[in-house]
Amino acid sequence: MSFGRFVLKRSLQGLGVVWGVVTVVFALRFVTPGSAINAVAPLDASQETRQAIAAELGLDQPLYVQYGQYIFDLLRGDMGFSYIRGQEVVGLVFARLPATVELALAASVVAIALSIPLGVLSATRRNQPVDYGATLFSLGGISTPNFWLGIMLILVFAVEFDVFNTSGRGVDVGDVAVSIVGSDPFVGTLLAWLAYITLPAIALGTYFMALITRLTRSGMLDELGKGYVQAARAKGLPNTLVRYKHALRNTLIPVITVLGLQLGTLIGGAVITEAVFSWPGLGTLVIDSINRRDWPVLQGSLIVIGTSFVLVNVLVDAVYAYLDPQVVND
Amino acid sequence: MVSARVIRNLKKEFRNSALAKIGLLLVVGILFTAAFAPFIAPHDPTEQQLDQSELPPLGFSETTERTTSQMVEGEIQTVTETVEITPDAAHPLGTDSLGRDMLSRIIYGARTSLVVGVLGTLLAAFVGVPVGLFAGYHRGNVDDVLMRIADVSLAFPSLVLAVALIGLWGRAAVNIPDPFVVAGLAPEMPESFVLPITVVIVVGLVNWVWFARVARGEALSLRSQEYVKASRALGADDTSIIWNHVLPNAITPIIVLATVQVAAIILLESSLSFLGFSGTTLSWGFDIAQGRDYISSGQWWIASLPGLAIMFSVIGINLLGDWLRDSLDPGIEGEGGAA
Repeated sequence: MSFGRFVLKRSLQGLGVVWGVVTVVFALRFVTPGSAINAVAPLDASQETRQAIAAELGLDQPLYVQYGQYIFDLLRGDMGFSYIRGQEVVGLVFARLPATVELALAASVVAIALSIPLGVLSATRRNQPVDYGATLFSLGGISTPNFWLGIMLILVFAVEFDVFNTSGRGVDVGDVAVSIVGSDPFVGTLLAWLAYITLPAIALGTYFMALITRLTRSGMLDELGKGYVQAARAKGLPNTLVRYKHALRNTLIPVITVLGLQLGTLIGGAVITEAVFSWPGLGTLVIDSINRRDWPVLQGSLIVIGTSFVLVNVLVDAVYAYLDPQVVND
Repeated sequence: MVSARVIRNLKKEFRNSALAKIGLLLVVGILFTAAFAPFIAPHDPTEQQLDQSELPPLGFSETTERTTSQMVEGEIQTVTETVEITPDAAHPLGTDSLGRDMLSRIIYGARTSLVVGVLGTLLAAFVGVPVGLFAGYHRGNVDDVLMRIADVSLAFPSLVLAVALIGLWGRAAVNIPDPFVVAGLAPEMPESFVLPITVVIVVGLVNWVWFARVARGEALSLRSQEYVKASRALGADDTSIIWNHVLPNAITPIIVLATVQVAAIILLESSLSFLGFSGTTLSWGFDIAQGRDYISSGQWWIASLPGLAIMFSVIGINLLGDWLRDSLDPGIEGEGGAA
């Protein structure tokens, strides 16, 4: 199978999963206590409003018609209407998505950039102080609840030393990019961005940094003990080349798979990190929707979260297949 | 299967690993604390003593500004004075904003965390393992369908799915009488343990997929083993082959996964309690949420201390998991620790 065919096949599978996600979210209507209208109508809605909503949603129609209509609406980009907020769900959800993506990217970029070198260092200097330090850090990191870490960061860096903001988003990363060419001072905008994003990104990223450090360390130790590494050394290749070109490359392949699977943890972590830092993303929207019983917004958010997960995993698989052409033939 | 070789490996690894010893010590300590909470806790964790609120832990004193209204020469004046609050030996870890004893709350919180962690893991395994074994053993269409269901299930982050389901189903809890208190051995303690039953069901349901994946992988490789083929040739039916031959040989990675899952579910439970999606108010996550409002006014201990309890519990369980994995099967990767 060629690389292109593999990616196409994975994309189609991904589409199937998205269909499953949509079906589960559609079914959520029916696990709501009370009738399906309760899932949409405000609690104090009048009888007329309820009937109007029921007719509009087609709740008087057979189930398969409702289901077909739901999917058809989604394909047109219609996720329904939030009667509680008086807004289209699509607009609400996509207004919040960039903030969450920004936070998740900031957390994972920093986590990956720091953890892979740390894991390699830890493996190549086994049983030396740096290895003990890295092991201890990664054990603590995977065991610390991120919301608590966030509060502790606020306690130290915002309450004791007033260096960071703890609530909201300030400027977004787009403003920083614009300030490079625009009239706003670049450094000032960058600092304003960092003042808001640093603490939530650390709170969210620490678990991943710890996890990747652990995986990289054990993967590197495995690879360095293998025959091809010894053969490369015996051939006289420099140590750095053997370590970073051969061993590290093979270590990263399983690391990437686990990262794809753990993406759900990253999004779940973002939900609670957003709650701690009042970050205006999808996570706060989800929590808020549940507390206000705004089910259409919850459903829309779940579809976007599930679809993003599938999309990133298809991308991860493509990267994986590119790095390790063997998987294409499996 | 738990053979003599397995026991020997466990002992050998344990002797050589300081981390395994620390892990076992932490886990045994927490189990003991949770089981005998009524005897260990100095106070009733729910008892409010408003005149003793916000006391700092031993060794710390806190200065705080108190504003009071006083009648001075017939006029009401507000007076702000700086008072020093000193700790009280009766509350070694201080008290919260309602004057409840932090140490007692942390001790009782261990019960919630462990019970939810263990019951949730058992439920997840109870659902996931049979499904996974069945699918891996039969392959074909059953397997395809299962793997697609697993994919869909994985697409929803555990926390998001759990929050959504609890939001829809409500926050039910059941009161389980505390045997020590019922027997009159610790009369001043709460009479019952509040089990957040919806949380248990939801965390079990969102985490079954990890068990299904591992069990399926094992069944896939075991189905072509000679002894399985032999039983089939002898006419044994599938259920008895899975039960008698596949499950016992797949149990090692399942046990390792279960250990990691207890830790993951404790973290998940604390997140749910923190967000207010639990049926109990006696939980580490809940106390962190309460304490969060007080960090800017100086009462750092209310949010900090329960978090340390979570961290050390999870570290202990993770160390135990590492020990089991290293001694039972060096080949198992650390997948499935998602919180």
